[in-house]
Amino acid sequence: MNFQSEIHTVEDALAAQEYFHSRKWTDGLPIVPPTADLVKAHLEWAMLEPDSLIGVEPVRARPIIAEKLAINSVMAGCLPMHFPLVVTAWTAMLQDEFLLHGASSSTGGCAILSIINGPTRKELGMDGTFNALGASDRATMAIGRAIRLALYNLMDVRPGEVDRSTLGHPGKISYCVAEDEENTSWLPLSVERGSPDGASAVTVMSAGAPRQIMNEWTTEPEQILETFVAEIKASMLHYSIWSGNFAIVVPPQLRSHFEKANWSKADIRQFVFEKARVTRGDWASCGKGMVVDEREEEVFRALPSSDDLLVIAAGGPAGGFGAVIPPWFGWKSRAVTMAVGACVDCEA
Amino acid sequence: MSIKVFDPTYASGGAIFELAPRVSDLVGKTVGLISNGKRGTVQFFSAMEQQLLEDFGAGQVIIRTKGNYSAPMEPEILAEASTWDVAFAGIGD
Repeated sequence: MNFQSEIHTVEDALAAQEYFHSRKWTDGLPIVPPTADLVKAHLEWAMLEPDSLIGVEPVRARPIIAEKLAINSVMAGCLPMHFPLVVTAWTAMLQDEFLLHGASSSTGGCAILSIINGPTRKELGMDGTFNALGASDRATMAIGRAIRLALYNLMDVRPGEVDRSTLGHPGKISYCVAEDEENTSWLPLSVERGSPDGASAVTVMSAGAPRQIMNEWTTEPEQILETFVAEIKASMLHYSIWSGNFAIVVPPQLRSHFEKANWSKADIRQFVFEKARVTRGDWASCGKGMVVDEREEEVFRALPSSDDLLVIAAGGPAGGFGAVIPPWFGWKSRAVTMAVGACVDCEA
Repeated sequence: MSIKVFDPTYASGGAIFELAPRVSDLVGKTVGLISNGKRGTVQFFSAMEQQLLEDFGAGQVIIRTKGNYSAPMEPEILAEASTWDVAFAGIGD
């Protein structure tokens, strides 16, 4: 393989840590030194050449090639078999509607959430059950970190450089979850969003930190969803009122109540679409009365349509918990779902 | 034994952007202000317009606002900007 990247010589793997840290090539955690053998193994697993074009970042017109993505994937601790998911996530992130530059540079401080569906989850040992949103396993941790490290090194999205986040959130270290498809009758998220059934897929979303909810005192789907809706409305009032893609994560205990009542994801999406709305006047209840002006009756919906809610089945078996994951900033960045192996603007 | 590692950063294939020629002063010049469109920009750019006209002698000031403050300007604004002597692309919040 012909590589383009500059080669540096370091004494050993430990010396490589300081070498990379001192150049701001890593995120504060150790890296796996990206040697030619490891990078080659990543590329061969994904059947990519070093100069294969993954996509072009639309705002800065920056081409992203497979070699560079593989280097960052190795550094993050990925195995070669993880690399196709990193490639797929980045291919999705480079689509115009995702607005990667805005999402990764904004003071709003979102992270790139990736949601994994399909048979690859089991092949890679991804576990969407215990601790689903907090480094549940090696593959989700490493893939999420690879996505972020590549932003560091390929788009200069380092704190204080392109990353202008006021606060950011811990998902910026790694923010990846596998859907728990085995323990639900619901359709996988990727299938709901148009990906072929049975295909592995990645959905990316410019996402705020998860906001945890709890309701262990009812089995009624409507009442459970009212708790989720209350959290969505709180996010709209306390953070951003603009509609966009919200995600909700529903673990098995709450999920069982929906499934017993024959509620599908589509039913949930429709309920939340109808209920999750606030008025401009509601801003006065949380210290934002200055911007209510004369439009206090104006209604704002959380979701442009019911299709814009991402319902994710994940979480450990016990506990009446759930999570709401708000969008970075309304509709400016839209979630993108892409099947693994899908080719965008490929040459014939 | 030493090891060889790859540079993980983006290697530019050459300068994509080039700075426009500088002007020596603003007297009589057409100055464009491209606002990102956030709420806080209105007062800021109004004050800047006044200052450009009164203190720096600009011939005229044209203010244009992007439709999406996180995305590049619209092609029509970019085309119009090519007719100005000076352009400021400003971020307000």
